[in-house]
Amino acid sequence: MYLPIALTSVNYLVVMGLGLGVGLLSGLFGVGGGFLMTPLLMMIGIPPTIAAATDANQIVAASASGTFSHWRLGNVDFKMGFYLLIGGFVGGAGGVQVIKILRATGGADFMIKMTYVIMLGLVGSFMFVESLHAMRKTKKAAATTDQPSSPKKKKGGFFAALPMQVYFEKSGVTHSALVPLVLGTFVGVLAAIMGVGGGFLMVPVMIYMLRMPMHVVVGTSLFQILFTCIEVTYLQAYSNHTVDFMLALLLLVGSVFGAQIGTVLGKKLHGEQLKILLSIIVLAVTVKIVLELVMEPSILLSYAGGH
Amino acid sequence: MREAIKMKRTFMNFSQYVSMAAVVLLGLALLPVPAAQALTCSVTPENIPITLTYHGAQLSITGQSASSDDLIVTITSEPADTALKYKEKVGGVVWMKKGTIEFKDTPHIYMLYSTDELSRILSVEERNQNLLGYEALRAHTRIEDSGGNPADAKWFDEYLKFKKEEKVYDIQEGRVVRQHGVKGNTYQVDVAWPYQAPPGVYTIEVIAARDGKVVDRSSTNFEVKSVGITKFLSKMAFDQAGLYGIMAVVIALFAGLAVGAIFKKGGGSH
Repeated sequence: MYLPIALTSVNYLVVMGLGLGVGLLSGLFGVGGGFLMTPLLMMIGIPPTIAAATDANQIVAASASGTFSHWRLGNVDFKMGFYLLIGGFVGGAGGVQVIKILRATGGADFMIKMTYVIMLGLVGSFMFVESLHAMRKTKKAAATTDQPSSPKKKKGGFFAALPMQVYFEKSGVTHSALVPLVLGTFVGVLAAIMGVGGGFLMVPVMIYMLRMPMHVVVGTSLFQILFTCIEVTYLQAYSNHTVDFMLALLLLVGSVFGAQIGTVLGKKLHGEQLKILLSIIVLAVTVKIVLELVMEPSILLSYAGGH
Repeated sequence: MREAIKMKRTFMNFSQYVSMAAVVLLGLALLPVPAAQALTCSVTPENIPITLTYHGAQLSITGQSASSDDLIVTITSEPADTALKYKEKVGGVVWMKKGTIEFKDTPHIYMLYSTDELSRILSVEERNQNLLGYEALRAHTRIEDSGGNPADAKWFDEYLKFKKEEKVYDIQEGRVVRQHGVKGNTYQVDVAWPYQAPPGVYTIEVIAARDGKVVDRSSTNFEVKSVGITKFLSKMAFDQAGLYGIMAVVIALFAGLAVGAIFKKGGGSH
């Protein structure tokens, strides 16, 4: 199959397979999967800028599909999603400015890459250790009572003391509206700096800082990703002409089904199991990036763009 | 006596014939080599359409040539400037993209096929002058960093690696096949045209070489062009970028929601 914008030819079965795999992860964990898909597309010969932009287009379909099914299952906290979204938009715009300043001072790429690796590593290890801990606990607890898998702890005094307290029915938590707004902004800034969608950052933030149950986290994250990727797709197509519609079409055929399978599969797994799987993937990606950074590349030249 | 005169005449006739023949032969030898086999060059197909199922093409380059000449066939695009990001070790540990290097006045596509090893066919000067072979390209290409200063010559090796990996730079010596038949002396080379080469007009040139020098040349063009849906989409992406973006988003949204709805109905149990 020839791709009119990427100007290259690909095996459509391979691309649909990639879509299916990454869509599955998306439905399971509520991540966009851009941090996996972009490098995979580059491996099959897609130029980096087109890989990133087209992936955003594909995620629109996968996250729409995933959000829809999670919404039917009652797993989307729209109220929380909106607050995070507003924060994310503000943060994203701010992040782009931060990059401009960093680029002007020089040596920014090194900082960005390092931030990325450290964030991924920290988030991955923290989730891994925490969910391993929680799984042991629930095993003991399961003998006596039928507890939900993610124990909800009392919020810290600082969060509770903030004004504009709002009750989020779906998630069963009360927070100041400022909390999701600020956290959304924070993730938005980081995502813009690192050039990723931020799903893998948003999910841990929702689990550990907003104390939302894992299943609602997945649905809400997908809801938020859907809007971010619509914006990214349009902007990339409009100003950079980097969205390859044929490639997106092939990918989304795989990913919409993958997202459905992921959602169904996710229902069968416990929150802790989901968390530990996600943490393993995040850690694997971290290791891969570290290896890439340390080992001498076989070719020292590349087209501009990408991570 | 008569016999003697007869013999003398015969001898004179014979010597006249010989000298006449010698004159004719000399004349022939002084004439330039007959241009019976002018160098020609043609390619099939002359148009390569890029459809949705396009995965490269097979080119057949043929023509006539003088039998004793060695031949070099090149396929190139117009020379242009190529800017690429380069990676270098930072802080002694990690490999990072550091900046941009520009390769000036060098073709995007460079393919060369010949009847023999280039070094045997042509002198270094002739190769350099006619841009034949990677060494000639190396001597011709200017490499500059983003500040416009000349960059390290080692980057040309990396550039070659990059282009060969993309399959758009290729040299195969001895690939051109000659045939001597009723049609005269013909040559042929079959080329697998890479799908990585972008749409455009490409030039095929065949050069005949004798005694280390270029003696004749002939060229032709072929065009690689998007057609149908491929053309429509690539045009729309640039000419109506806003509409293209909206279409991409709407179709993705619709596909996602539709599959979501189908699964819900079909799944039933959840």
